[in-house]
Amino acid sequence: APPAAGAGPAGGASDSLFSHVSIMTAEELNQFKAKRFTLGQIPLKPPPTDMLVV
Amino acid sequence: QGEKKPADEDDKDDKAAQSLLNKLIRSNLVSNTNQVEVLQKDPNSPLYSVKSFEELRLKPQLLNGVYGMGFNRPSKIQETALPMMLAEPPQNLIAQSQSGTGKTAAFVLAMLSHVEPNNKYPQCLCVSPTYELALQTGKVIEQMGKQYEEVKLVYAIRGNKLPRGTKLHEQIVIGTPGTMLDWCSKFKFIDPKKIKVFVLDEADVMIATQGHQDQSIRIQRMLPENCQMLLFSATFEETVWNFAQRIVPEPNIIKLKREEETLDTIKQYYVLCNSREEKFQALCNIYGAITIAQAMVFCHTRKTAGWLAGELSREGHQVALLSGEMQVEQRAAVIDRFRNGKEKVLVTTNVCARGIDVEQVSVVINFDLPVDRDGNPDNETYLHRIGRTGRFGKRGLAINMVDSKSSMNILNRIQDHFSKNIEKLDTDDLDEIEKIAS
Amino acid sequence: KRKGLQNSAEESTLKWFRELQEAAARCQEALQQLNCPKDAQTKKLKLELQKAASIPVSQISSNSGSQLREIFDKIDKLLSGRGLVSGGRTISTSQHPQGLDFVSYKLAEKFVKQGEEEVASHHEAAFPIAMVAAGVWELHPRVGDLILAHLHKKCPYAVPHYPPMKEGTTVEDYQRIIGYRVDDSGVEGQDSFLKRMSGMIRLYAALIQLRWPYGSKQGSAPHGLNHGWRWLAQMLNMEPLADITATLLFDFLEVCGHALMRQYQSQFWKLILLLKEEYFPRIEAVTSSGQMGSVIRLKHFLETSLQSRQIRPPKGQLNSAFWSS
Ligand SMILES: Nc1ncnc2c1ncn2[C@@H]1O[C@H](COP(=O)(O)OP(=O)(O)O)[C@@H](O)[C@H]1O
Repeated sequence: APPAAGAGPAGGASDSLFSHVSIMTAEELNQFKAKRFTLGQIPLKPPPTDMLVV
Repeated sequence: QGEKKPADEDDKDDKAAQSLLNKLIRSNLVSNTNQVEVLQKDPNSPLYSVKSFEELRLKPQLLNGVYGMGFNRPSKIQETALPMMLAEPPQNLIAQSQSGTGKTAAFVLAMLSHVEPNNKYPQCLCVSPTYELALQTGKVIEQMGKQYEEVKLVYAIRGNKLPRGTKLHEQIVIGTPGTMLDWCSKFKFIDPKKIKVFVLDEADVMIATQGHQDQSIRIQRMLPENCQMLLFSATFEETVWNFAQRIVPEPNIIKLKREEETLDTIKQYYVLCNSREEKFQALCNIYGAITIAQAMVFCHTRKTAGWLAGELSREGHQVALLSGEMQVEQRAAVIDRFRNGKEKVLVTTNVCARGIDVEQVSVVINFDLPVDRDGNPDNETYLHRIGRTGRFGKRGLAINMVDSKSSMNILNRIQDHFSKNIEKLDTDDLDEIEKIAS
Repeated sequence: KRKGLQNSAEESTLKWFRELQEAAARCQEALQQLNCPKDAQTKKLKLELQKAASIPVSQISSNSGSQLREIFDKIDKLLSGRGLVSGGRTISTSQHPQGLDFVSYKLAEKFVKQGEEEVASHHEAAFPIAMVAAGVWELHPRVGDLILAHLHKKCPYAVPHYPPMKEGTTVEDYQRIIGYRVDDSGVEGQDSFLKRMSGMIRLYAALIQLRWPYGSKQGSAPHGLNHGWRWLAQMLNMEPLADITATLLFDFLEVCGHALMRQYQSQFWKLILLLKEEYFPRIEAVTSSGQMGSVIRLKHFLETSLQSRQIRPPKGQLNSAFWSS
């Protein structure tokens, strides 16, 4: 049977636990680099592994 | 023959046990749409009632505690009782409403509010009819006071033996009347003159026990005049009322009438079967079609109940069996597991579950219809088991199994008695069952 | 470039939501023959298949690990087309061409309903149910997609998605779309509605952090914590809804806050800080006096977490003692 849905990357999130830097926009990267998120602009993609410590 | 208990003792055991089991099975407030009746000591003083907990100006730890228990707003009885209990100067109160309407939560909040945490001696006493009931109240104190760590609690119950000369540092003492009295007078663990709040819970159960009434009154006599006296009861017969007036001088009185149970908010069905095996199959089909968080199944005999529980477990269902020969503690343990969702089906006999409030359970199945000793329909039991209070409350589902001409006849008579239609359900048609549950 | 809080979810979120709904609808349509059986034999088969799918789910509890494994094995057998003995008869999805689809659909529906009914009143029930669901998802991914579709339909906040009222929709229909139960006696009360939504959000929050311990464990979880990040980020990017937002944020964080904290570390704390300092006042601004309960529960949770720089593991999580029972 065919898959029920195009179970591709969901809702802007990547399909793995961490995002790869290459798929992120500059804005998203800036949000992760900053000390604080900007209200309304939190990236839906999870942070990349090497940005877990700010 | 000789060993039969006298009727009143039997009755007492029943009352305390029922009260405990009902507490254990309950996970929600019992809805009640009646008006609260208020009789004020001073009819000219303004009557406050609150619609939110914020209006009570509680200490932040307590407000967090109340909300942390998942409460959102005061219950009907709490709307009126809380402002009275928290008023300055404190007012005495006699309050009556059926169990499950929020009395315990109310007086626990009052005790916690009146405690002065820096004073390390008993300031609030609460007496309950039995050890188990005292423990239940204690749990509520612990939950509500979770963020009020300075306030401590101790149980004055028979097993709790303290060395002579002990002076208690806990601010709240909760226990049974006998031990509490000993702690106040004989052992002097407690200085009764320093008590600010005295609570007598479940007065109707209390007076059913020899001696409790006198002991309670003797405790009360030792307390200072300005001590706040609070008395709660689920029912209010003449005897309770007389007792209440001896314990609580110049009271405000609050009553909330028990709401009539009605069959209006419940969907009733019957299933036609030819044998108990077929009834069992029908039950399995019902399980396959609807999602039941918890169900209670009633059987006529202990034997059927045991058999059914066995068959259900064999099919992999998580079943609890409540049966008449169990001690109160055993029954309490079964109900506690059921309430916590360890088991999802509670199978019991008609007799054993007498008096247990099953309003919390969304599906009730009469594996056998309730009949009295002469084999006539027991309408009262049927209504109590299936009926729901609160016209706007959640809806329930009741399914009756019919397996013979005579049980069909009973069902028809029940139907006629309540003038409510009980519809036929085909348990081989899952779509039909799914529909009734949505 | 967007600025400030939005009124709806991002297009990519909505697209994902729609695709899952469409796929579920297609699956449902393709089941016609088995869903509306014409002959007695097919009807009987449908009954047996449905029971085989839904009864094991209704038997999930935190009683013992061995019981949970038995339940999982039953479901796995059924989905793998092997015969299952149920009520004395052998039943298998191979007995009908639509058997497998039917069972997958019913199973997904059942998982969600169990969350709605049971987790609503017993929060801790989320863990055993989600555990089995996660295991099934890993081995049978299309059941996972169907679970999401059912979940989203019953609780759009699980997307999260706040469906706007379209022209021509009746009030009642709209209430249904946004998750309320409506019948001839009217719409359900707010407390009961919130309780059910909490149940489903808690189930979802448990699901994204769990993995069936006896699975292959290769590769990443089929629907893992990255979705926890996505959900939380999407929620905080949107204007709060009175009552609902505070209730569901608290439910979600209580269940998977600990796991998210361990996974995303400082970035997670940035989320919590934003929530506490900038988003929370926006929640307060839309809250009326009778709705303070959920707001205070959330506030207390945020304060305690930030103070202790810790989020406690959720109550009811299945530990190793459970699995050896
Ligand atoms: N204001 C409230 N909102 C929600 N639930 C409440 C509230 N007050 C009490 N409850 C809950 O309702 C149930 C019955 O309350 P309880 O105080 O034990 O009643 P009673 O003492 O009258 O039997 C308990 O589970 C309790 O936690």
